Amino acid sequence: MSEDVHALLGPYIVGAVSDEECADFEAHLATCSSCTEDVANLLEVTAVLGEAEAVAPPLSLRARVMDEIAVTAQVTPTATPIAATATVAPADATVTALADHPRRRRFTLIGVAAASLLVLAGVGIGIGSAVQDRQQQLAFEKDVMMVTSAPDAHAMDLELGSAHLVMSERMDAVVVMGDDAPMPHDGMEYQLWLVMDDGKAMPGPTFMPDDGSFMAMMHAGFDGVVAFAITEEPHGGSEAPTSDPIAVTEI
Amino acid sequence: MSSDRHLRAVDDSYHAPDGVTLGTSGTGEVITPRGLVRAANLDSLLTQAARGSGAAFEQIYDNISGAVYGTALRVVRDPQLAEDVAQEALVEVWRTAARFRPDAGSARAWILTIAHRRAVDRVRSEQAHTTRLRHHGKPDDKQAPTDNVVDTMFAEWEAARVRAGLAELTELQREAIILAYYKGYTHREVSEALDIPLGTAKARLRDGLMKLRDMWEVAR
Ligand SMILES: [Zn+2]
Repeated sequence: MSEDVHALLGPYIVGAVSDEECADFEAHLATCSSCTEDVANLLEVTAVLGEAEAVAPPLSLRARVMDEIAVTAQVTPTATPIAATATVAPADATVTALADHPRRRRFTLIGVAAASLLVLAGVGIGIGSAVQDRQQQLAFEKDVMMVTSAPDAHAMDLELGSAHLVMSERMDAVVVMGDDAPMPHDGMEYQLWLVMDDGKAMPGPTFMPDDGSFMAMMHAGFDGVVAFAITEEPHGGSEAPTSDPIAVTEI
Repeated sequence: MSSDRHLRAVDDSYHAPDGVTLGTSGTGEVITPRGLVRAANLDSLLTQAARGSGAAFEQIYDNISGAVYGTALRVVRDPQLAEDVAQEALVEVWRTAARFRPDAGSARAWILTIAHRRAVDRVRSEQAHTTRLRHHGKPDDKQAPTDNVVDTMFAEWEAARVRAGLAELTELQREAIILAYYKGYTHREVSEALDIPLGTAKARLRDGLMKLRDMWEVAR
Protein backbone atom coordinates (compact mmCIF):
# COMPACT_ATOMS: atom_id res chain seq x y z
CA MET A 1 0.00 0.00 0.00
CA SER A 2 2.60 2.53 1.06
CA GLU A 3 4.69 1.18 -1.82
CA ASP A 4 1.92 2.39 -4.14
CA VAL A 5 1.80 5.79 -2.54
CA HIS A 6 5.59 6.19 -2.83
CA ALA A 7 5.26 5.58 -6.54
CA LEU A 8 3.06 8.64 -6.90
CA LEU A 9 6.09 10.87 -6.37
CA GLY A 10 6.76 11.53 -10.06
CA PRO A 11 3.11 11.99 -11.02
CA TYR A 12 2.56 14.26 -8.02
CA ILE A 13 5.39 16.59 -8.99
CA VAL A 14 4.04 17.17 -12.49
CA GLY A 15 0.43 17.36 -11.33
CA ALA A 16 -0.49 14.06 -13.01
CA VAL A 17 -2.58 12.83 -10.10
CA SER A 18 -6.29 12.92 -9.31
CA ASP A 19 -7.49 15.01 -6.38
CA GLU A 20 -7.81 11.85 -4.33
CA GLU A 21 -4.30 10.64 -5.16
CA CYS A 22 -2.98 14.09 -4.41
CA ALA A 23 -4.54 14.00 -0.96
CA ASP A 24 -3.21 10.47 -0.34
CA PHE A 25 0.28 11.44 -1.36
CA GLU A 26 0.29 14.58 0.78
CA ALA A 27 -0.84 12.50 3.75
CA HIS A 28 1.99 10.10 2.99
CA LEU A 29 4.51 12.95 3.01
CA ALA A 30 3.83 13.53 6.69
CA THR A 31 5.33 10.12 7.41
CA CYS A 32 7.98 9.75 4.70
CA SER A 33 11.06 11.92 4.93
CA SER A 34 12.52 10.48 1.72
CA CYS A 35 9.53 11.55 -0.36
CA THR A 36 9.42 14.91 1.45
CA GLU A 37 13.00 15.62 0.47
CA ASP A 38 12.45 14.51 -3.10
CA VAL A 39 9.36 16.69 -3.42
CA ALA A 40 11.31 19.77 -2.32
CA ASN A 41 14.04 19.06 -4.88
CA LEU A 42 11.87 18.02 -7.77
CA LEU A 43 9.54 20.99 -7.50
CA GLU A 44 12.62 23.10 -8.24
CA VAL A 45 12.93 21.14 -11.49
CA THR A 46 9.38 21.93 -12.57
CA ALA A 47 10.01 25.54 -11.54
CA VAL A 48 12.76 25.62 -14.16
CA LEU A 49 10.35 24.20 -16.73
CA GLY A 50 7.76 26.82 -15.83
CA GLU A 51 10.19 29.70 -15.76
CA ALA A 52 11.38 28.83 -19.25
CA GLU A 53 7.82 29.45 -20.48
CA ALA A 54 7.75 33.01 -19.13
CA VAL A 55 5.81 35.40 -21.35
CA ALA A 56 4.82 38.91 -20.39
CA PRO A 57 1.13 38.82 -19.43
CA PRO A 58 -1.34 41.44 -20.67
CA LEU A 59 -0.82 44.66 -18.73
CA SER A 60 -4.40 44.67 -17.51
CA LEU A 61 -3.78 41.53 -15.48
CA ARG A 62 -1.77 43.39 -12.89
CA ALA A 63 -4.56 45.78 -11.96
CA ARG A 64 -7.12 42.97 -11.82
CA VAL A 65 -4.94 40.90 -9.50
CA MET A 66 -4.19 43.86 -7.24
CA ASP A 67 -7.88 44.79 -7.08
CA GLU A 68 -8.79 41.26 -6.12
CA ILE A 69 -6.15 40.80 -3.43
CA ALA A 70 -7.26 44.08 -1.87
CA VAL A 71 -10.53 42.37 -0.98
CA THR A 72 -9.18 38.86 -0.36
CA ALA A 73 -8.56 37.75 3.21
CA GLN A 74 -5.36 35.83 3.88
CA VAL A 75 -4.98 32.64 5.84
CA THR A 76 -3.11 33.36 9.05
CA PRO A 77 0.26 31.78 9.81
CA THR A 78 -1.18 29.79 12.70
CA ALA A 79 -3.85 28.28 10.49
CA THR A 80 -1.33 26.30 8.46
CA PRO A 81 -2.98 22.92 8.28
CA ILE A 82 -2.38 21.29 4.91
CA ALA A 83 1.40 21.35 5.07
CA ALA A 84 2.99 19.20 2.45
CA THR A 85 5.52 18.40 5.13
CA ALA A 86 4.88 17.27 8.65
CA THR A 87 5.89 20.12 10.89
CA VAL A 88 4.04 23.38 11.15
CA ALA A 89 6.39 26.21 11.84
CA PRO A 90 5.26 29.14 13.94
CA ALA A 91 5.84 32.54 12.40
CA ASP A 92 9.05 33.12 14.34
CA ALA A 93 10.60 29.90 13.17
CA THR A 94 9.86 30.90 9.60
CA VAL A 95 11.76 34.12 10.05
CA THR A 96 14.73 32.31 11.53
CA ALA A 97 14.82 29.80 8.73
CA LEU A 98 14.86 32.61 6.23
CA ALA A 99 17.74 34.37 7.91
CA ASP A 100 19.70 31.13 7.73
CA HIS A 101 18.90 30.61 4.13
CA PRO A 102 22.03 29.59 2.26
CA ARG A 103 21.19 31.57 -0.84
CA ARG A 104 20.72 34.74 1.10
CA ARG A 105 24.03 34.32 2.85
CA ARG A 106 25.73 33.68 -0.41
CA PHE A 107 24.09 36.66 -2.00
CA THR A 108 25.48 38.97 0.65
CA LEU A 109 28.94 37.61 0.07
CA ILE A 110 28.68 38.29 -3.59
CA GLY A 111 27.81 41.91 -3.06
CA VAL A 112 30.87 42.48 -0.91
CA ALA A 113 33.18 40.58 -3.19
CA ALA A 114 32.14 42.21 -6.41
CA ALA A 115 32.53 45.72 -5.04
CA SER A 116 35.99 45.21 -3.63
CA LEU A 117 38.11 44.25 -6.62
CA LEU A 118 38.85 45.90 -9.88
CA VAL A 119 39.21 42.75 -11.89
CA LEU A 120 38.35 39.47 -10.30
CA ALA A 121 38.53 37.06 -13.12
CA GLY A 122 37.02 36.24 -16.43
CA VAL A 123 35.86 33.13 -18.11
CA GLY A 124 34.78 32.22 -21.57
CA ILE A 125 33.45 29.09 -23.14
CA GLY A 126 31.82 27.98 -26.32
CA ILE A 127 28.26 27.03 -25.50
CA GLY A 128 27.94 23.30 -25.14
CA SER A 129 31.69 22.83 -25.39
CA ALA A 130 32.35 19.19 -24.57
CA VAL A 131 35.63 19.81 -22.82
CA GLN A 132 34.01 21.82 -20.06
CA ASP A 133 33.27 19.95 -16.92
CA ARG A 134 29.57 19.87 -16.19
CA GLN A 135 29.95 21.47 -12.78
CA GLN A 136 31.95 24.31 -14.20
CA GLN A 137 29.44 24.84 -16.91
CA LEU A 138 26.57 25.05 -14.46
CA ALA A 139 28.43 27.47 -12.22
CA PHE A 140 29.26 29.55 -15.21
CA GLU A 141 25.68 29.59 -16.47
CA LYS A 142 24.54 30.70 -13.08
CA ASP A 143 27.05 33.52 -12.92
CA VAL A 144 26.04 34.69 -16.35
CA MET A 145 22.41 34.62 -15.35
CA MET A 146 23.12 36.73 -12.31
CA VAL A 147 24.71 39.38 -14.46
CA THR A 148 22.14 39.40 -17.24
CA SER A 149 19.26 39.51 -14.79
CA ALA A 150 20.73 42.18 -12.54
CA PRO A 151 18.36 45.12 -12.06
CA ASP A 152 20.77 47.53 -13.74
CA ALA A 153 21.89 45.21 -16.55
CA HIS A 154 21.91 46.85 -19.94
CA ALA A 155 22.68 45.43 -23.32
CA MET A 156 24.69 46.88 -26.21
CA ASP A 157 25.39 45.54 -29.65
CA LEU A 158 28.66 43.74 -30.24
CA GLU A 159 29.85 43.29 -33.79
CA LEU A 160 30.98 39.71 -33.65
CA GLY A 161 28.39 37.70 -35.53
CA SER A 162 25.03 38.46 -34.00
CA ALA A 163 25.98 39.38 -30.48
CA HIS A 164 25.29 41.47 -27.41
CA LEU A 165 27.33 42.73 -24.56
CA VAL A 166 25.55 43.05 -21.24
CA MET A 167 27.08 45.02 -18.42
CA SER A 168 25.95 45.51 -14.87
CA GLU A 169 27.68 48.02 -12.65
CA ARG A 170 25.84 46.62 -9.70
CA MET A 171 27.37 43.21 -10.40
CA ASP A 172 30.70 44.65 -11.54
CA ALA A 173 30.55 42.35 -14.49
CA VAL A 174 30.25 42.20 -18.22
CA VAL A 175 28.96 39.32 -20.34
CA VAL A 176 29.39 38.92 -24.07
CA MET A 177 27.12 36.43 -25.81
CA GLY A 178 26.07 35.76 -29.35
CA ASP A 179 25.63 33.50 -32.35
CA ASP A 180 26.94 33.23 -35.88
CA ALA A 181 30.46 34.29 -34.96
CA PRO A 182 33.17 33.28 -37.45
CA MET A 183 35.96 31.06 -36.15
CA PRO A 184 39.21 32.88 -35.38
CA HIS A 185 42.31 31.99 -37.38
CA ASP A 186 44.13 28.72 -36.67
CA GLY A 187 45.84 28.72 -33.29
CA MET A 188 44.04 31.89 -32.26
CA GLU A 189 41.24 32.60 -29.83
CA TYR A 190 39.08 35.63 -29.19
CA GLN A 191 39.90 37.72 -26.16
CA LEU A 192 37.81 40.39 -24.46
CA TRP A 193 39.47 43.62 -23.27
CA LEU A 194 38.45 46.57 -21.16
CA VAL A 195 39.75 49.73 -22.78
CA MET A 196 40.61 52.37 -20.18
CA ASP A 197 40.44 56.15 -20.60
CA ASP A 198 44.26 56.28 -20.69
CA GLY A 199 44.26 53.91 -23.66
CA LYS A 200 45.46 50.84 -21.75
CA ALA A 201 43.66 47.54 -22.19
CA MET A 202 42.84 45.27 -19.27
CA PRO A 203 42.90 41.60 -20.32
CA GLY A 204 39.68 39.63 -20.12
CA PRO A 205 38.84 36.02 -20.83
CA THR A 206 39.49 34.17 -24.07
CA PHE A 207 36.74 32.25 -25.79
CA MET A 208 36.02 30.20 -28.89
CA PRO A 209 32.70 30.02 -30.72
CA ASP A 210 31.04 26.62 -30.72
CA ASP A 211 29.04 26.26 -33.88
CA GLY A 212 29.05 30.06 -33.98
CA SER A 213 27.77 30.50 -30.41
CA PHE A 214 29.86 31.98 -27.68
CA MET A 215 29.59 33.38 -24.22
CA ALA A 216 32.16 34.91 -21.92
CA MET A 217 32.07 36.84 -18.70
CA MET A 218 34.43 39.14 -16.88
CA HIS A 219 34.21 40.67 -13.46
CA ALA A 220 35.55 44.18 -13.30
CA GLY A 221 34.93 47.61 -11.94
CA PHE A 222 33.95 50.04 -14.67
CA ASP A 223 35.63 53.19 -13.37
CA GLY A 224 37.67 54.67 -16.19
CA VAL A 225 36.49 52.08 -18.71
CA VAL A 226 35.52 53.69 -22.01
CA ALA A 227 35.03 50.69 -24.26
CA PHE A 228 35.07 46.94 -24.64
CA ALA A 229 37.10 45.36 -27.40
CA ILE A 230 37.63 41.93 -28.90
CA THR A 231 40.86 40.83 -30.53
CA GLU A 232 42.25 37.58 -31.85
CA GLU A 233 45.10 36.37 -29.66
CA PRO A 234 47.30 33.29 -29.60
CA HIS A 235 45.83 30.37 -27.68
CA GLY A 236 45.73 31.16 -23.96
CA GLY A 237 45.34 34.88 -24.46
CA SER A 238 47.74 37.77 -24.04
CA GLU A 239 48.62 40.28 -21.34
CA ALA A 240 48.29 43.10 -23.86
CA PRO A 241 46.57 43.07 -27.26
CA THR A 242 48.79 41.82 -30.10
CA SER A 243 46.40 42.68 -32.91
CA ASP A 244 43.87 45.32 -33.87
CA PRO A 245 40.40 44.90 -32.39
CA ILE A 246 37.86 43.18 -34.63
CA ALA A 247 34.99 44.60 -32.58
CA VAL A 248 34.69 47.59 -30.29
CA THR A 249 31.71 48.62 -28.18
CA GLU A 250 31.98 52.02 -26.59
CA ILE A 251 30.21 52.72 -23.35
CA MET B 1 36.18 36.49 1.52
CA SER B 2 36.17 37.89 -1.93
CA SER B 3 37.58 34.72 -3.39
CA ASP B 4 34.42 32.88 -2.39
CA ARG B 5 32.81 34.50 -5.33
CA HIS B 6 34.81 32.99 -8.13
CA LEU B 7 35.52 30.89 -10.03
CA ARG B 8 34.61 27.28 -10.13
CA ALA B 9 33.97 28.02 -13.77
CA VAL B 10 37.30 29.45 -14.72
CA ASP B 11 38.50 28.45 -18.12
CA ASP B 12 41.79 26.58 -18.12
CA SER B 13 43.10 28.77 -20.86
CA TYR B 14 42.61 31.93 -18.88
CA HIS B 15 45.51 33.31 -16.90
CA ALA B 16 44.53 35.58 -14.06
CA PRO B 17 46.39 38.85 -13.81
CA ASP B 18 48.96 38.96 -11.00
CA GLY B 19 47.58 39.38 -7.55
CA VAL B 20 44.13 38.09 -8.41
CA THR B 21 42.96 35.12 -6.42
CA LEU B 22 40.61 32.62 -7.87
CA GLY B 23 38.47 30.69 -5.49
CA THR B 24 35.52 28.43 -5.77
CA SER B 25 31.91 29.29 -5.32
CA GLY B 26 29.93 27.61 -2.57
CA THR B 27 28.32 24.26 -3.12
CA GLY B 28 24.73 23.18 -3.12
CA GLU B 29 23.14 26.50 -3.86
CA VAL B 30 20.10 26.62 -6.04
CA ILE B 31 20.37 27.61 -9.64
CA THR B 32 17.21 29.47 -10.34
CA PRO B 33 16.58 30.49 -13.89
CA ARG B 34 15.67 34.05 -13.21
CA GLY B 35 18.99 34.60 -11.54
CA LEU B 36 19.92 34.56 -7.90
CA VAL B 37 19.63 38.30 -7.68
CA ARG B 38 15.90 38.18 -8.07
CA ALA B 39 15.37 34.75 -6.59
CA ALA B 40 17.02 35.40 -3.25
CA ASN B 41 14.61 38.23 -2.80
CA LEU B 42 11.48 36.30 -3.58
CA ASP B 43 11.50 34.10 -0.47
CA SER B 44 11.65 37.15 1.72
CA LEU B 45 9.01 39.02 -0.27
CA LEU B 46 6.62 36.11 0.05
CA THR B 47 7.13 36.02 3.79
CA GLN B 48 6.31 39.74 3.91
CA ALA B 49 3.25 39.23 1.72
CA ALA B 50 2.06 36.57 4.16
CA ARG B 51 1.96 39.27 6.79
CA GLY B 52 -0.25 41.43 4.61
CA SER B 53 2.26 43.54 2.70
CA GLY B 54 0.66 44.57 -0.57
CA ALA B 55 3.88 46.31 -1.59
CA ALA B 56 5.80 43.04 -1.25
CA PHE B 57 3.11 41.29 -3.29
CA GLU B 58 3.47 43.85 -6.07
CA GLN B 59 7.16 43.05 -6.29
CA ILE B 60 6.37 39.35 -6.34
CA TYR B 61 3.96 40.02 -9.18
CA ASP B 62 6.58 41.90 -11.17
CA ASN B 63 9.09 39.12 -10.62
CA ILE B 64 7.03 36.08 -11.42
CA SER B 65 3.82 36.99 -13.28
CA GLY B 66 5.54 36.22 -16.59
CA ALA B 67 6.38 32.69 -15.50
CA VAL B 68 2.93 32.19 -13.96
CA TYR B 69 1.15 33.40 -17.08
CA GLY B 70 3.55 31.56 -19.40
CA THR B 71 3.11 28.29 -17.53
CA ALA B 72 -0.66 28.66 -17.66
CA LEU B 73 -0.57 29.56 -21.35
CA ARG B 74 1.55 26.58 -22.20
CA VAL B 75 -0.86 24.20 -20.47
CA VAL B 76 -4.26 25.70 -21.38
CA ARG B 77 -3.16 27.06 -24.78
CA ASP B 78 -5.63 29.89 -24.80
CA PRO B 79 -4.60 33.44 -23.85
CA GLN B 80 -7.91 34.38 -22.26
CA LEU B 81 -8.05 31.20 -20.24
CA ALA B 82 -4.40 31.56 -19.29
CA GLU B 83 -5.09 35.03 -17.98
CA ASP B 84 -7.91 33.73 -15.81
CA VAL B 85 -5.74 30.92 -14.51
CA ALA B 86 -2.86 33.30 -13.78
CA GLN B 87 -5.19 35.61 -11.88
CA GLU B 88 -6.61 32.74 -9.81
CA ALA B 89 -3.16 31.42 -9.08
CA LEU B 90 -1.71 34.78 -8.05
CA VAL B 91 -4.66 35.50 -5.80
CA GLU B 92 -4.20 32.06 -4.26
CA VAL B 93 -0.55 32.93 -3.65
CA TRP B 94 -1.65 36.03 -1.78
CA ARG B 95 -4.33 34.20 0.15
CA THR B 96 -2.21 31.24 1.22
CA ALA B 97 1.22 32.90 1.45
CA ALA B 98 1.41 31.98 5.14
CA ARG B 99 1.66 28.33 4.12
CA PHE B 100 4.92 28.90 2.31
CA ARG B 101 7.79 27.25 4.17
CA PRO B 102 11.20 28.57 3.07
CA ASP B 103 12.98 25.45 4.29
CA ALA B 104 10.78 23.17 2.19
CA GLY B 105 11.50 24.74 -1.21
CA SER B 106 11.92 28.10 -2.91
CA ALA B 107 9.16 30.67 -3.16
CA ARG B 108 9.54 30.43 -6.92
CA ALA B 109 8.84 26.70 -6.92
CA TRP B 110 5.97 27.12 -4.50
CA ILE B 111 4.28 29.79 -6.63
CA LEU B 112 4.84 28.03 -9.93
CA THR B 113 3.47 24.79 -8.48
CA ILE B 114 0.25 26.60 -7.59
CA ALA B 115 0.08 28.07 -11.09
CA HIS B 116 0.71 24.73 -12.76
CA ARG B 117 -1.91 22.94 -10.66
CA ARG B 118 -4.49 25.59 -11.44
CA ALA B 119 -3.72 25.32 -15.12
CA VAL B 120 -3.95 21.54 -15.09
CA ASP B 121 -7.24 21.65 -13.17
CA ARG B 122 -8.58 24.03 -15.77
CA VAL B 123 -7.49 22.04 -18.75
CA ARG B 124 -8.96 18.88 -17.26
CA SER B 125 -12.33 20.49 -16.70
CA GLU B 126 -12.37 22.33 -20.03
CA GLN B 127 -11.30 19.54 -22.29
CA ALA B 128 -12.67 16.06 -22.56
CA HIS B 129 -10.15 13.31 -22.11
CA THR B 130 -10.50 12.23 -25.73
CA THR B 131 -9.82 15.72 -27.05
CA ARG B 132 -6.55 15.86 -25.22
CA LEU B 133 -5.53 12.45 -26.46
CA ARG B 134 -6.26 13.50 -30.02
CA HIS B 135 -4.05 16.54 -29.67
CA HIS B 136 -1.08 14.53 -28.55
CA GLY B 137 1.86 15.88 -30.50
CA LYS B 138 4.81 18.16 -30.28
CA PRO B 139 4.48 21.12 -27.93
CA ASP B 140 3.83 24.45 -29.59
CA ASP B 141 6.60 26.91 -29.88
CA LYS B 142 6.01 29.85 -27.64
CA GLN B 143 6.78 33.46 -28.24
CA ALA B 144 9.47 35.04 -26.16
CA PRO B 145 8.70 38.37 -24.56
CA THR B 146 10.20 41.17 -26.58
CA ASP B 147 9.93 44.21 -24.37
CA ASN B 148 13.45 44.06 -23.00
CA VAL B 149 16.51 42.72 -24.74
CA VAL B 150 18.06 41.31 -21.58
CA ASP B 151 14.86 39.54 -20.60
CA THR B 152 14.56 38.20 -24.11
CA MET B 153 18.09 36.88 -24.16
CA PHE B 154 17.50 35.42 -20.79
CA ALA B 155 14.29 33.70 -21.79
CA GLU B 156 16.08 32.20 -24.78
CA TRP B 157 18.87 31.03 -22.56
CA GLU B 158 16.44 29.36 -20.19
CA ALA B 159 14.48 27.77 -22.99
CA ALA B 160 17.71 26.44 -24.48
CA ARG B 161 18.67 24.99 -21.15
CA VAL B 162 15.34 23.22 -20.85
CA ARG B 163 15.56 21.89 -24.42
CA ALA B 164 19.07 20.63 -23.77
CA GLY B 165 17.93 18.98 -20.54
CA LEU B 166 14.94 17.28 -22.12
CA ALA B 167 17.16 16.07 -24.95
CA GLU B 168 19.27 14.15 -22.43
CA LEU B 169 16.30 12.10 -21.26
CA THR B 170 15.21 8.81 -22.74
CA GLU B 171 12.35 9.00 -25.20
CA LEU B 172 9.87 7.63 -22.66
CA GLN B 173 11.02 9.93 -19.88
CA ARG B 174 10.76 12.92 -22.16
CA GLU B 175 7.37 12.01 -23.61
CA ALA B 176 5.95 11.24 -20.18
CA ILE B 177 7.07 14.60 -18.79
CA ILE B 178 5.82 16.52 -21.82
CA LEU B 179 2.40 14.89 -21.69
CA ALA B 180 2.02 15.26 -17.94
CA TYR B 181 3.60 18.62 -17.26
CA TYR B 182 2.85 20.57 -20.41
CA LYS B 183 -0.45 18.95 -21.33
CA GLY B 184 -1.96 18.08 -18.00
CA TYR B 185 -2.28 14.33 -18.58
CA THR B 186 -2.79 12.15 -15.54
CA HIS B 187 -0.38 9.26 -15.14
CA ARG B 188 -3.11 6.94 -16.37
CA GLU B 189 -3.50 8.99 -19.54
CA VAL B 190 0.26 9.02 -19.96
CA SER B 191 0.39 5.24 -19.77
CA GLU B 192 -2.45 4.98 -22.30
CA ALA B 193 -0.99 7.51 -24.71
CA LEU B 194 2.46 5.94 -24.64
CA ASP B 195 1.07 2.42 -24.45
CA ILE B 196 3.12 1.47 -21.43
CA PRO B 197 2.07 -0.08 -18.08
CA LEU B 198 0.93 2.35 -15.40
CA GLY B 199 3.88 1.50 -13.14
CA THR B 200 6.27 2.27 -15.97
CA ALA B 201 4.63 5.63 -16.61
CA LYS B 202 5.00 6.61 -12.95
CA ALA B 203 8.60 5.44 -12.86
CA ARG B 204 9.58 7.27 -16.05
CA LEU B 205 8.15 10.50 -14.69
CA ARG B 206 10.17 10.10 -11.51
CA ASP B 207 13.44 9.08 -13.22
CA GLY B 208 13.12 11.84 -15.79
CA LEU B 209 12.62 14.51 -13.15
CA MET B 210 15.53 13.18 -11.11
CA LYS B 211 17.78 13.23 -14.11
CA LEU B 212 16.87 16.86 -14.80
CA ARG B 213 17.46 17.67 -11.15
CA ASP B 214 20.94 16.17 -11.29
CA MET B 215 21.77 17.92 -14.54
CA TRP B 216 20.56 21.30 -13.35
CA GLU B 217 21.78 20.91 -9.78
CA VAL B 218 18.60 22.37 -8.43
CA ALA B 219 18.53 20.31 -5.24
CA ARG B 220 18.41 22.33 -2.05
ZN1 LIG C 1 7.54 7.98 0.44
